Amino acid sequence: MNIPNPSTAPVPGEYAGDEVSAIVLDPGYWTTRAGFAGEDVPKSVCPSFYGQLDNDSGAQYLFGENAIHTPTGNLEIKNPWGADGIVEDWDTATKIWEYAITSRLTGAKAGDPAKNGLNDGTNANGDSMDVDIDALDNQEKPLEDSPLLVTEPGWNSAKAREKYIEIAMEEWGAPAFYLQKTGVLAAFASGKASGIIIDVGASHTSVTPVLDGMVLRKGVQKSPLAGNFVSNQTRLVFKQSQPEIPLTPHFMVKSKTPVDAGVPAQAMYKTFGVPPTDSFRRLEEERVLTEFKESVVEVWSGPGRLSNGNNEDISKAMPGRPFEMPDGWNQVFQGERFRPAEGLFDANAALQDADNPRPKDEHTIPRLVQQAVQHVDTDQRPLLLSNIVITGASTLLYKFNDRLSHEINQLYPSTKNRLVAPGTVVERKYAAWIGGSILASLGSFHQLWISRKEYEEHGPGIVEKRCR
Amino acid sequence: MAQSGVSVTPECINAFNELKLGKDIKYIIYKISDDWKEIVVEETSKDGDWNSFRDKLLNAKSKDRKGKEGIGGRYAVFDVSYELESGEGTRSKITFIAWCPDDAPQYPRMMYSSSKEAIKRALNGLAADIQANDADDIEWESILNRVSKGR
Ligand SMILES: Nc1ncnc2c1ncn2[C@@H]1O[C@H](COP(=O)(O)OP(=O)(O)O)[C@@H](O)[C@H]1O
Ligand SMILES: [Mg+2]
Repeated sequence: MNIPNPSTAPVPGEYAGDEVSAIVLDPGYWTTRAGFAGEDVPKSVCPSFYGQLDNDSGAQYLFGENAIHTPTGNLEIKNPWGADGIVEDWDTATKIWEYAITSRLTGAKAGDPAKNGLNDGTNANGDSMDVDIDALDNQEKPLEDSPLLVTEPGWNSAKAREKYIEIAMEEWGAPAFYLQKTGVLAAFASGKASGIIIDVGASHTSVTPVLDGMVLRKGVQKSPLAGNFVSNQTRLVFKQSQPEIPLTPHFMVKSKTPVDAGVPAQAMYKTFGVPPTDSFRRLEEERVLTEFKESVVEVWSGPGRLSNGNNEDISKAMPGRPFEMPDGWNQVFQGERFRPAEGLFDANAALQDADNPRPKDEHTIPRLVQQAVQHVDTDQRPLLLSNIVITGASTLLYKFNDRLSHEINQLYPSTKNRLVAPGTVVERKYAAWIGGSILASLGSFHQLWISRKEYEEHGPGIVEKRCR
Repeated sequence: MAQSGVSVTPECINAFNELKLGKDIKYIIYKISDDWKEIVVEETSKDGDWNSFRDKLLNAKSKDRKGKEGIGGRYAVFDVSYELESGEGTRSKITFIAWCPDDAPQYPRMMYSSSKEAIKRALNGLAADIQANDADDIEWESILNRVSKGR
């Protein structure tokens, strides 16, 4: 494939000369990551949630960090991903991804590719953008100069895979396209052609066996016990605490005064003409819960479950960690901070109420690993178990790896089991994007791209043949 | 074709066939070329000494895309021979090793893992396949253990 691009014309004998300004898109439930191939981190990390404002003239959609976190009238917050971990609302997903790409990479319209990557005066997706969908349709297509590599979950349906290439080719005008599985990319980024990839994101945990760079499809396991689950468990810890712990998101607080631990907050709260919707409030609460997960929640490190023997007593005697709500309410959390994540490993330990039923045993992470391994030939199991790649932001939970390692050693006492967990937060969060970034920047990758011409000749079914 | 699009030069296969048939060559070390486009033969050796072979892997370097040299990966084929326990003589197994050290920089790690399938597929008649990621994985004991197991 030849991309006319004078600024990166090949320089003889120099590797970098082969690079094309491809774009890599790694859409997740929590965030959408986009950036130029060849760069170390995605330049654009946008929320995958969007805002919808219904008014007389129809629905207005809001994308990006600033727009969706500002309480505006009857703003509803939604997410285009379905409960099965496959995109449900394609039209809006397309707009969110397009926003992630155009707001920080290509500009609202296709720009001069020579200037790609230079339009980065800001360092976050701070700009809000009201998108009038009809107006966008009349614009130039946003990706006419950039081949696009998109990542997909290991369980994506054939229909969903065709949808990705249709969006890239029809809506965005991409000259070339490729689809690669997140599990494979994360494995490669860790230097593994074969391994088991454990990805704990927001809506799903998945366990993916990879052999020589190919996903063993029948072995792929997924479950809803992931980041959102840990957040919901944290809500229950707050609710069941005596007295109940008030979860107050930032947007409600006008000003606060410092207060002692455990006493009611002394804050001024904002009032709203139109009260913010439940969905808006819920997303804002989720951000506070993420801070809580980052700084307070700890996974019982094992060996054994939290409920075993006197482990619970031991956990209660461990040093506490303070947390302050946006309104100044604060407390040192002791034993409670081990509760929210325990259900990932032990369904019995999950807190429950009417909205949060007991999780299924087979959805816990150790059981997912076990089921994935069962689908692999016996003689390949030691290879996979010695290459267990940990990825996804929820694996950043404190002591997550220690516990997982104990659980796996207990399941497989006679193999040499080894966890491979990238040390930096960036690598752990963006492993799949980083893997895609390297592949899509390779001169040798030319042969893999599905060109526009091939797409036009063969139709969207070509992804199934070319991107295994 | 590998997932990276990196290709395998015919000399890789020629060297392998020579090892397979002649039993004169004891090992071959392959590398991905400095322009990261194809897999080439770095060295063939008639010396079957494991430790000197191992040292070569441990000292392997690769350049990243900016040309900076660091810890690198390699592929290798080693004709591993060992005594059968019952005194029934020796056995030899042509063993493929994908050497991708955990402490190598991101770029070579990615390249060696995503290109492995291509070279492995090009070499017909491998008796064992080892993914090695640290110095322990290429200890003779560890290799022997894995190669002599089962078949
Ligand atoms: N440091 C952290 N510790 C624990 N959980 C975290 C941390 N950072 C982010 N999370 C949680 O990780 C989830 C997002 O994970 P990510 O892998 O980015 O998901 P996705 O691929 O679905 O977008 C969210 O539930 C978020 O609350
Ligand atoms: Mg993810």
